[in-house]
Amino acid sequence: MIQLQDIVVKFGDFTALHNINVHVKEGEFFTFLGPSGCGKTTTLRTITGFIEPTSGRVMMNDKDITHVPIEKRNIGIVFQSYALFPTMTVYDNIAFGLKIKKLKKQEIDQKVREIAKKVDLSDEQLAKAVSQLSGGQQQRVAIARALVTNPSVICLDEPLSNLDAKLRVQLRNELKNMQREFGITSIYVTHDQEEALTLSDHIAVFNKGCIEQIGTPYEVYNNSATEFVCNFIGDINRLSDSLVERLNREQSAGLDAGQHHYIRLERLRVNEEVDSGLYTEGTVESAEYYGLTIKYAIRTADQNFKVVEKNDGKRIYEIGEQVRIGFRKEDLMSYEPGDYKGDEV
Amino acid sequence: MKQQKGIDAGFLFKILGFLFFAYLFFGFMLVPCLNTLTSIFTTKNAAGQTDPWVVIKFFFAGNMPSFVWNSLKLAILLVITVNVVGVSIVLLTEYFDIKGAKILRLGYMTTLIYSGVALVTGYMFLYANDGILTSYLAKINPAINKNWFTGFNAVLFTMTFACTSNHMLFLRNAIRGIDYNTVEAARNMGAGPFKVLWKVVFPTLIPTMFSLTVMTFITGLCAMSAPTLLGYDSINPEIVRLAGSSAADESFPQARAALLSVILAIFTILLLTVLSSYERKGHYLSVSKTKAKLQKQKINNPVANVLAHIYAYVLFIIYMTPVVMIVIFAFQTFEAVRMRKIDFSGWTFLNFFGKQDYEYLTARGTYKTREGAISGLFSNETTLGGIRLSFILSAIAAAFACVIVVIACSYIFKNKKKGAVLEYALLFPWLLPTILICYSFRTFFNSDAVFYVGNENLYYAQNVRILIVMAYTVVKLPFSLRMIKASFYTIDEELEEAAKNLGSGPLRTFLKVKLPIILPSVLAVFALNFNSLFTEYDMSATFASTYGTTYAMVLQAMTYDEGAFGYNMNATGRRCASTVFIMLLSGLVLYLVYGVGARDLGERLEIRKKRKERLEKLFGKKKTGEKAAE
Repeated sequence: MIQLQDIVVKFGDFTALHNINVHVKEGEFFTFLGPSGCGKTTTLRTITGFIEPTSGRVMMNDKDITHVPIEKRNIGIVFQSYALFPTMTVYDNIAFGLKIKKLKKQEIDQKVREIAKKVDLSDEQLAKAVSQLSGGQQQRVAIARALVTNPSVICLDEPLSNLDAKLRVQLRNELKNMQREFGITSIYVTHDQEEALTLSDHIAVFNKGCIEQIGTPYEVYNNSATEFVCNFIGDINRLSDSLVERLNREQSAGLDAGQHHYIRLERLRVNEEVDSGLYTEGTVESAEYYGLTIKYAIRTADQNFKVVEKNDGKRIYEIGEQVRIGFRKEDLMSYEPGDYKGDEV
Repeated sequence: MKQQKGIDAGFLFKILGFLFFAYLFFGFMLVPCLNTLTSIFTTKNAAGQTDPWVVIKFFFAGNMPSFVWNSLKLAILLVITVNVVGVSIVLLTEYFDIKGAKILRLGYMTTLIYSGVALVTGYMFLYANDGILTSYLAKINPAINKNWFTGFNAVLFTMTFACTSNHMLFLRNAIRGIDYNTVEAARNMGAGPFKVLWKVVFPTLIPTMFSLTVMTFITGLCAMSAPTLLGYDSINPEIVRLAGSSAADESFPQARAALLSVILAIFTILLLTVLSSYERKGHYLSVSKTKAKLQKQKINNPVANVLAHIYAYVLFIIYMTPVVMIVIFAFQTFEAVRMRKIDFSGWTFLNFFGKQDYEYLTARGTYKTREGAISGLFSNETTLGGIRLSFILSAIAAAFACVIVVIACSYIFKNKKKGAVLEYALLFPWLLPTILICYSFRTFFNSDAVFYVGNENLYYAQNVRILIVMAYTVVKLPFSLRMIKASFYTIDEELEEAAKNLGSGPLRTFLKVKLPIILPSVLAVFALNFNSLFTEYDMSATFASTYGTTYAMVLQAMTYDEGAFGYNMNATGRRCASTVFIMLLSGLVLYLVYGVGARDLGERLEIRKKRKERLEKLFGKKKTGEKAAE
C-alpha cells in the first residue's frame, strides 16, 4: 500500500530523517511512535506531500508519488487541531473537498449525509458551527471530512493530544471502531505509548530521525529491539551492575556483565516463588494504590525497584516491610551498551 | 502543464506585488518626505544663493522657537492633566465603589463617540464668547471677559477631557485584569485600601500608564484642531499657515514649515523609540493560575467618600454638559439656538432636514427675506457637500488601507525575512507626524514634474481628492497593519494545509478559508479607519481647497460668526446636528465592530435560531414555515 524507501529529509544542515523505510499494508492501522522531535510527524508529512524528501521514494500501490502534489495523492488527513474551518458549518466543512471536486449539489448532499450518519453526526449537528460541538464531535467531523472524498489512506496526526485523559480514552476506542468499520488504511502519529499499543496493528518507534523498531504492539513491548525502545515503551527497571555481579556470584545467574539488563515492572514478583527465578531482598519504601494494581517502590542493597502487583486480594505490604523480589531470567531484556542515555526519553 | 501555469501566475503576482509596494513606499512615503527634508537645506538666501543654514538661522533669529516651546508646554502639561483625569475616571468607575458608576462610565466614555473638531466645537458651543455658559455668566455679570475661553488654558482644558479615551479603553482593561486575590492578600496582611492601591494596583498599571503618557505627549505635541479653533500658536497650525503662505508675504515659508515638520518628526521618533525600547523590556506578567474578578473597594472614611463622589460627579458634569447641550439644541428652533435659550415648546428636526426662510432688517429699515437661508444639515449644499466628500474619500481610503494590508500580511506570513522588510515599509508612516506626511504631499505633488504620477499636479483642482485619498491611506497603513496582522495570527496553519489536502488552490484557500476568519477584523479596521477619517481635521486643514473641503473643514466653518444678511445662517444649529450625527455614526460603528463583528459563526447561528423561535412564537409555526418556503 504505502512504502517509504530510503527517505532522507534535510532542513538546511539538519537531517530530520535518516533513511526511513516503512511498509504499511492495505487496511492496517500503522502507528508512528516516538518522543517529540523524533521525526514521526516529518515522516507523515512526507507521505501526505507537505514535505518533499531530500532523497528516497514514497510509493503508493507500487506507484511513485514522491513528486505528486498533495491534493492528487488521495490521502485524507486528520490534523492535531482538527483544522476545522471555523467560519463554516459542520456540513460545509465536510462538503468542502467535494465542492472542490465540482460534484453536483445533490451528490454532495448525499455523500455528506451518508458519512455523517456513519460517524454518528445528526442533521441538527450538521447545521451547527464547529465551535458549537464538543471535542469528540469535532473529531468525528474531522474524520468525516477526511473520509468523504474516499481517500486510499487516512493520516492522523496526534488527533487526541489536545483532549483530557478521559475523553482521550473514549475517543481512542471510537477511532479504532471507525477504522475497523471503514476498513481504511490508517497511519497514526502519537507520542503516547498507550495509544499506540491499544490502537495499532503495527508500530514504528522513532528516535532522532531513525526508526528503532517496527513490530506489533506485543513485539515492541515484550521484545524491544533496542535499549531506547524498551525504555520508551512502558515503565522498566534496569539492573544495576553491582546487582548483576552479585546475581552472577551468588545465584549463578550467568548474566553478561558487559550488557545492560532490563525487566518490566509487572514481571517482578514480591514474596512469591518464581520458577527458576532470581531473587533479591529489599524494603518497601512506598505503596501506591491504583485500584486494579498496586505500585511498590522497593529499596534493595544494590538499587531501587519499581514493582506493579495485581490487586488480586493479596494483602498490601507495609512501608518498611522486608520483602523478597523474584524474577525469571527469560523476562530480562538485554542490550549491548550503546549511545542511549536514560534521561533523553 | 497546469502546474507550470500556476508557477508563472504566482511569479507574476509576486513581481506585480513588489512593484506596487515599491511604488507605494518610495513614491508616497519616502520621496515626498525626503523632499521636505532637503528643502530645508536647499533654500536660497536674500542674495539668491543656496544656503543650507539660512532657515535654521532664521529659526533661531525669529519667533519660531516659541511655536516649538508652546507645543512642548502643551504636551508636558497635557501629560499631567490627562493622566490625573484619566486615572481618576478609571479608578472612580472600576476600582472604588462610587454610587452610579455605570452612568458615570457612560459620561466619561462620550469622548469615544465624538472627538477632534466635533468635540472642540462642542466645547466652544458652551464656553466660547457666544457660548451658552459664557452668555449666561455675562447676563449675571456683564463685566466678565467674554473671550475667556481662548488660548492656552482653553486648549489645555479641552484637550484634557478629549484625550482620556485611551485611558478609558486601555487603563480600564489593565485595571480589570488585576487578580483580586492579590488585593485580598495585601488586605489580609494589613494594608489599607490606599496602601493597596499604591503598592499593589499601581505598579501593575505602570506599563500601560507609560504607553498612555507617551501617546498623550505626542498628541499634545501634534495638536491641531484645538489650537486652531481656540487660538493657540503651536507647531501644527503654524505649519498649515506657512504651507499656504507665499514668499511674497514672508521669508521662505515652505522651508520653515518643513523645518517645523522635521522638528516634530524628531520628537515623535525619539518618543516612539523610548516607548518601544520600554515595551521590549517586557511587562509585569501575572503569575496567577486563576484570576479572581476585581471587586470594588469601599472608601471607609466618610469625608473621603463624599469628596470622591463630588469629584466624580463634577467630572461627569464637565464631560456631559457639552454633549447634553448639543443634543438638546440639535432639536431646537433657529431662534432658540441663536438665543442659546432652550425653548421647551419648540422642538424641531430643522437642524437636520428642511429649510426655512430668513427675514432680516436692512440698513434702510426695510425687511428682506432670504428664501431657505436657514437650512438643516442634510439640506445645506455646503454641509452636504462636505459630508459627501468626506464619506467617499474616507471610505475609499479606509478600504484601500485594508486591502493593501491584507495582501501585505498574506505575504508577510509566508515569507518571514522578506516580509519583515515589507512590514517595516508599511509601518514607516507611524514614525512621522501626520502633518509632515501631509505637508510633504502638498508641496511635493503641487508640481507637474513628478513623473511617476503622470506629471499631473495632484494638488491642483479636483486632483487634490486623489492626494487626500493617498494621504489618508498612507497615514492609516500602520494602524491597519498592526490590527490585521494580529488577526492573521489567529489562522491555524493547519487550516491552510487541510484546505490544500482537500484540493483547494491558493486563491480559493485564501477566499474561502482565510479571508472569512480575518474578515471581522478587517471590517472592524475598515470601520475604525472610516470613523476617524470621516471627521479628520489635521489632514483636511493641510489640503483645504475649493475641491478638498471635507466635513471637518465645514464643521470648522460653522464656528464662524453667523453673519448678518443671511450669510452662514443656522451654522450653530447645523453644528449641533452634525455632532449628533457624528455621535450616532460613531456609536453605530463601535456597535458593529465590537458588538456584531465580534460574534463567531456559532453565536450568529444561535441568534438566528432564537430569532426563528421568537417568530414562531409570534406568528405560529405554520406561518414561519410558509415564510421560509417563500
